[in-house]
Amino acid sequence: MEASIPVLWISIFLPLIIGLIGLKVRDDDIEAIAYTMAATLLLPLFLVAVAAVKGLLGEGIVDPWMAHLQGIGTLALAVDGLSGLVAVGISIVTAFVSIYSIPYMRTRIEEMKEAGEAPPSLGVYFFLYSLFAVAMLGLVYSTNMVLFYVFLELTLVPSFLLIAYYGYGDRRKIAILYFVWTHIGAVMFLSGMLYYGFHVGNFDYLDVATMTPVAGTANLLGAAATYVALLMVLGLFVKMAVFGFHMWLPYAHAEAPTPISALLSPNLIGLAGYALARITLPIFPGFFADYKWVFIYLAFTTIIYGGLVALKQTDFKKFLAYSSVSQMGYMLLGVATLTPVGITGAMIQYLSHAIGKALLFMTAGVFITELHGLRDIRLMGGLARRYPLTAALALLGFMHLVGMPPTIGMWSELFIVFGLFKNVSLTAEFIPMVTLVIVALMVSAAYSFVNMRRIFYNKPRSEQATLKTETPGALQYSMLFIGIMGIVFFLWINPYYHGLLEVIHKTFLFAGIGG
Amino acid sequence: MIDPIWIWLTPYLGALALAILWISGVRDERIYGGTAVGSILISALIATILTPSVYHGHLIYTKYSWLPSLGINFGTYMDGLGAFMALVVSWLSLLIAIYSTEYMKGDWGVQRYFFFFTFFVGSMLLLVLADNLVLMFIGWEGTGLASYALIGHWYTDEEETWVGDPGRKAFGTPMYFEPSHSGVRAILFTRVGDIGMIIGMALFYMITGTFNIPQISETATGWMSFLASKGVLTAALLVFSLGALAKSAQFPFHEWLVTAMTGPTPVSALIHAATMVKAGVYFMLRFSPIFYNGAEQLGGAALAATEHYFNIIALLGGVTAFMMATMALVSRELKLIFAFSTASQLGYMFLGVGAAGLLAQKEMAYEGIAASAAHLMSHAIFKAALFLIAGWAIHAVHSRFIDNMGNFSKYMKITTLSIWLAGLSLAGLPPFSGFWSKEGVIHAAQAAHLENLWFLAVFTAGLTGFYTTRAIIRVFHMPPYEPPHHEAELHEAPPRMLWPYTILAFTALIIGLVWPFGFGADFSNLISKTLGFEEPVKLAVEFNATTYGIITWVLAMVLLVPALYLVMKVDFVSILKTSKTARILHDFLYDRWYINALIYIIIVGGFIGAIDLLGYVDGFIDAFYHIGIPIAFILISKGFRSMHKGRPDLYLAYYAYGIGLLLLMLYLIWG
Repeated sequence: MEASIPVLWISIFLPLIIGLIGLKVRDDDIEAIAYTMAATLLLPLFLVAVAAVKGLLGEGIVDPWMAHLQGIGTLALAVDGLSGLVAVGISIVTAFVSIYSIPYMRTRIEEMKEAGEAPPSLGVYFFLYSLFAVAMLGLVYSTNMVLFYVFLELTLVPSFLLIAYYGYGDRRKIAILYFVWTHIGAVMFLSGMLYYGFHVGNFDYLDVATMTPVAGTANLLGAAATYVALLMVLGLFVKMAVFGFHMWLPYAHAEAPTPISALLSPNLIGLAGYALARITLPIFPGFFADYKWVFIYLAFTTIIYGGLVALKQTDFKKFLAYSSVSQMGYMLLGVATLTPVGITGAMIQYLSHAIGKALLFMTAGVFITELHGLRDIRLMGGLARRYPLTAALALLGFMHLVGMPPTIGMWSELFIVFGLFKNVSLTAEFIPMVTLVIVALMVSAAYSFVNMRRIFYNKPRSEQATLKTETPGALQYSMLFIGIMGIVFFLWINPYYHGLLEVIHKTFLFAGIGG
Repeated sequence: MIDPIWIWLTPYLGALALAILWISGVRDERIYGGTAVGSILISALIATILTPSVYHGHLIYTKYSWLPSLGINFGTYMDGLGAFMALVVSWLSLLIAIYSTEYMKGDWGVQRYFFFFTFFVGSMLLLVLADNLVLMFIGWEGTGLASYALIGHWYTDEEETWVGDPGRKAFGTPMYFEPSHSGVRAILFTRVGDIGMIIGMALFYMITGTFNIPQISETATGWMSFLASKGVLTAALLVFSLGALAKSAQFPFHEWLVTAMTGPTPVSALIHAATMVKAGVYFMLRFSPIFYNGAEQLGGAALAATEHYFNIIALLGGVTAFMMATMALVSRELKLIFAFSTASQLGYMFLGVGAAGLLAQKEMAYEGIAASAAHLMSHAIFKAALFLIAGWAIHAVHSRFIDNMGNFSKYMKITTLSIWLAGLSLAGLPPFSGFWSKEGVIHAAQAAHLENLWFLAVFTAGLTGFYTTRAIIRVFHMPPYEPPHHEAELHEAPPRMLWPYTILAFTALIIGLVWPFGFGADFSNLISKTLGFEEPVKLAVEFNATTYGIITWVLAMVLLVPALYLVMKVDFVSILKTSKTARILHDFLYDRWYINALIYIIIVGGFIGAIDLLGYVDGFIDAFYHIGIPIAFILISKGFRSMHKGRPDLYLAYYAYGIGLLLLMLYLIWG
């Protein structure tokens, strides 16, 4: 359905305008900017929720502002069942993290000034923040590869600058590392995409007139189709930090300023998983069918490897970064099953990971802000006694990762496993697959609850962990709202499930998957 | 008619209210205790009001749409078993909640305690009343979460909250557990089983496309024959039941339950009597008639596979019953004795269900299942009483070791009477409720021709009599081995603690007394209204030579204890010091057959090894990308730079080589 007003473009431009105004605002008055920006960033959540209530998710909403370009296709924005929950994930996290950023970044900037550095002002931070947030939104709304790529690059610039300006450790080097790595991914994707576009004649992956996926075009590429698919998929794997291509992630996500980690880790990398299902799967269904088991085992490797290495970490944020690698494995697993229910699970996984990981990074941020940069898990312990609300919210975050009700994590876990077992031949593979699933899910549960204990229970293992006691403020309340959303969407899953399923069925029909 | 959804929704709403109160800064513990007690009372009353209708054969079933296309709805399914479980869970939880308001007075985490307590009860009620697997799974996971939080309630890990002897090790594995450690153990051990349940659900989704339990029952022949044709029926049923085995602490998952004793004692009572461990038994009671009927109709390979499955369940139950009873014989911690005993009694229930599944005659099979249900009820009542008394005993001497307790009978008459009533019910002597139910289970094992397991069950019944009496005699009728470190408060418990356990202990007696005079028949009638029960059951104990034999054997073991301790005054402590054989046996039992040590060395140790190994792998990948590749490029650049030293003669030579190479390539392509 074409909307009567350009709501999607508005939801992109509004936060950006607020960000631009923010450049002129003094640091002391930045609250107004942060709160307004949060309100505008909630617009996509509101939009998707209205679409859900009206049952429009299957059909989708198209923004009326679009351009038709010869050889490129239609540059338009749209949101439908498949992208709905992804947009919701970005909206929730970016909105509340922007409020969380006020106290966090104030402290960070002061700390940097004390260390004799001259970081850019809060206004710059919020401008870059808004650019980063809307670039991710634009990426989700895109219906054309060129637009997709533009937004992809647009996410990179502000996030690179945010790491370089306000990051920790060897931040300039790490910012460059991040930039180079994600560029490798982006360029692989770009080269595949260009080959595809020039042979097919346009770059559309979603036909906005009918809101149906572009499918079957891979035939036009002939024998090159496999290589093109490989380039695009591997490019996305680098972005997604699948095992083997994950090495950049722990650096970038651990050393970024924590609110940015909370955006980078669940939101940005998960978008590559979304793009797998949105762009590459309908165009190259044969490729995915051929490599199904390779991808499934790669996903399991990522889950188990990421989870086990996460258990070894002593730095809170690095632990979370490895756990993100592990969680991306679930997303890949869901898509790789090539079943509607599995892909549904993968997209719900995006939202559940967004909420869970944002909560956990924000937890890490609470201690970094209040306990003088405490992030070494070995020096923590007993923090629940002093930070009960933060502890409760962190537990809620871990529950999202583990997939425990009443969090939306349960749905993603169930649907991904359901999708997987649709592929399993019971006679030969039943017991090995059962074992693999148990190990994978147990690794996630183990790193969650073991670290919950290391961080929050037992006795404090250092002076630093006893410096302060919680006075709930913007830090905790912004977390609380994100956490509540996880429960709300757990309960209110029906319209999103159906929206997702409708779009995926349509995709399967057009791409000829599953007969 | 009241909507049955309120039975489980009320405690959840109570918990929600407590969460909101907590976030808004209310800290008054009376509000928390009151909300918990109030919301559980309401659900107990609703369950009670609705049960007569179920008893008279009306199924109460309401549904609110949630994810209708998958058959996932907020459906409350109250048949005979559901109503029975709702009654047991809600009323026991209510008594324990009342006890808690006194026991937890002034505790620093009392608000969190009542939040999770109420959440726990709500989850358990949801689990037993859910009409579909996913909703049941939500309750299931809810109990897991709540038990994790409550077992680790005193997460600051003070030594008096530990379980086990501080410093004790078996094969280098510590045998003492802090609350926060026990919490992690509980959730991880049971989570293994939960994943099995998820996979079971995936199978139902794949084969039948529904999660609705009545529909699963209707289509049993369909999906069972499909799985049997693939040759995985036994495996699939076992994987699906993995959650039940883990939650009900059956071997090899029993370890978590033992260390769960780090929680406040009312939590132990709640976990052991009303919630959590009973979930697994409920699961078996709910699904075994479905499996049984399906197999019965199909016959052939499906029947053989299902019998194989029931055989395994019976075996696990029997072995757990025996193994845990032996551990209880030597334990020095009062709560630990009762914890071992719980796992052991749950073993009886699994044995009953497993044996029932093997019986060819339908009504006998249902009787076996009903006997397990009866044992669930009697166990819930007497075990709640025992734990609540243990809570007072531990509080009185400020020590969890029975070595520090003694002569309680001189100071607390009502408590002494109560523990004898509850204890003899656990021992399974007539006329207590435990007798009738345990007898039913043992009878089922005999009827199913499981001679070895029958013998094990009877032998274990004697052990049960022995360890129960040992605990009572040591604590109530003998002087302490070593006086308590703190000054003991030896008097009756305050009323809000005294009454709950006294009521429970007398209930154990009264149910036993009225069992042969109609109560047993009423119970059978209610259970007969359960999904999958195609014939009405009549639970009746036949008094024959075997029955008298068993009673005599148990009585002998019960009487042996006062004979050894009070009459012969055997000094077990010095026997242990002098005899090596006694010590080896003692340590084997005391360190829980070394199973914990084995789990830690093999599984946990294996994972730690893998983690270390992967740490190196990750370091290698890191080095490859971020050191190896850059160095390679530096070297390449150096190599190229060294070629450019400003000498025209060299450049001319490169040029000539280059042209030569190009020509060669052109030749190779077109020549």
